[in-house]
Amino acid sequence: MAASYPYGQGYPGTAGQPPGAPQGGYPGGQYGGLPTGAPYSGPAPGGPYGPPSNGGAYGHPSSGPPGSMYGGGPAPGGPYGQPSTNPYGAPQSGPYGAGGPGAGAVPHGVDPEAFSWFQSVDCDHSGYISIKELRQALVNSNWSAFNDETCLMMMNMFDKSRSGRIDLYGFSALWCFIQQWRNLFQQYDRDQSGSINYNELHQALSQMGYNLSPQFSQLLLSRYSQKATNPGIQLDRFIQICTLLQTMTEAFREKDTSMTGNARINYEDFLMMSATRML
Amino acid sequence: MASMGMPDANFLWGVFQRVDKDRSGVISDGELQQALSNGTWTPFNPATVRSILSMFDRENKGGVNFNEFTGVWKYISDWQNVFRTYDRDNSGMIDKHELKQALTGFGYRLSDQFYDLLIQKFDRQRRGQVAFDDFIQCCVVLQKWTDVFRRYDTDQDGWIQVSYEQYLSMVFSVV
Repeated sequence: MAASYPYGQGYPGTAGQPPGAPQGGYPGGQYGGLPTGAPYSGPAPGGPYGPPSNGGAYGHPSSGPPGSMYGGGPAPGGPYGQPSTNPYGAPQSGPYGAGGPGAGAVPHGVDPEAFSWFQSVDCDHSGYISIKELRQALVNSNWSAFNDETCLMMMNMFDKSRSGRIDLYGFSALWCFIQQWRNLFQQYDRDQSGSINYNELHQALSQMGYNLSPQFSQLLLSRYSQKATNPGIQLDRFIQICTLLQTMTEAFREKDTSMTGNARINYEDFLMMSATRML
Repeated sequence: MASMGMPDANFLWGVFQRVDKDRSGVISDGELQQALSNGTWTPFNPATVRSILSMFDRENKGGVNFNEFTGVWKYISDWQNVFRTYDRDNSGMIDKHELKQALTGFGYRLSDQFYDLLIQKFDRQRRGQVAFDDFIQCCVVLQKWTDVFRRYDTDQDGWIQVSYEQYLSMVFSVV
């Protein structure tokens, strides 16, 4: 009964077919885009699960990765909605509080280091960081630029107003986020090669509390490692992998109500829980 | 871009040379993005550009050569025709109702709630409607996630039973 089939586009013979991809379909998951959207809102880079629950299918973080996304910022209420310290009062002025106590003063709730970095990254002095500026600013230990997907993902995480750019407060939180991951990365890069090899990755995931097979680590490595004789994961991909793992683990956990490590999921739920979190 | 059938190779070669600004013989995502219009004077969705290029870029070279570009051209023209069919009022944007018609025409059976979500996620201009580039992206994303679901739905009843790691493998094969 094709009519009752819950999905299915492009059956031969159906009237309307979406334009087809080239023969062979999508090459190896090369899909580049994490389109704009917000909901990478999960606690990152925290552990995959909040409260440690012994056993279960997932395990729990044993080495305690850094706290929540905004954990580093001394602005517990979040960077927004603080009219008293909000530097945007005057529409024409940037967030540096021109006319305030001197340009160059670090606004309340902003990490001083992040503040100075912000000023050098904000090349056009717009008071905001665009994706282009972000991409130019971030490099891996081998001096390769951060890949587009990771930059876009982080933009979406820290661009709370969905304006396509990050203000100083979002940037300060982003800075802490990256610093935390960088520290973890260095910790897991045991041979200090600047990249994470298979053994290091598998160990890192298990120390973060993920109970995943060696095959899965292998899959991640082959998917995200730089093409080289010695495959390894750079910092940008490490951040991407770990963030995705967190988000998707959360999504699965919601469906796995009995905590057996298995879930029965229908098509639309699958789209809801997965595709929408990616955007 | 023209919406008729495939134009001749000379014409396409001319287009290719104009788009290939640095004359590298390969059109990069930046070059393609500048050449494309979504009809609303806003930059073409970079995610859509990357999606399209990655479909046609055979050697993972970060762009398409002339031969692959002809495929890109046809692909975008085809989408344009689809889009025009559903953009009844020629506004350059399709609303939720039109999006539902289009996707239903492709065979999708999705709830109203899900269409709300799609609009919300793919409406980059926050107009409650979806422009051409975002429409392509929406369809491409939906298709990829549907494909991976279908691979696991062996009895095709619309339900899958998966383990945690299987689920993660599904996700990482798509993103």
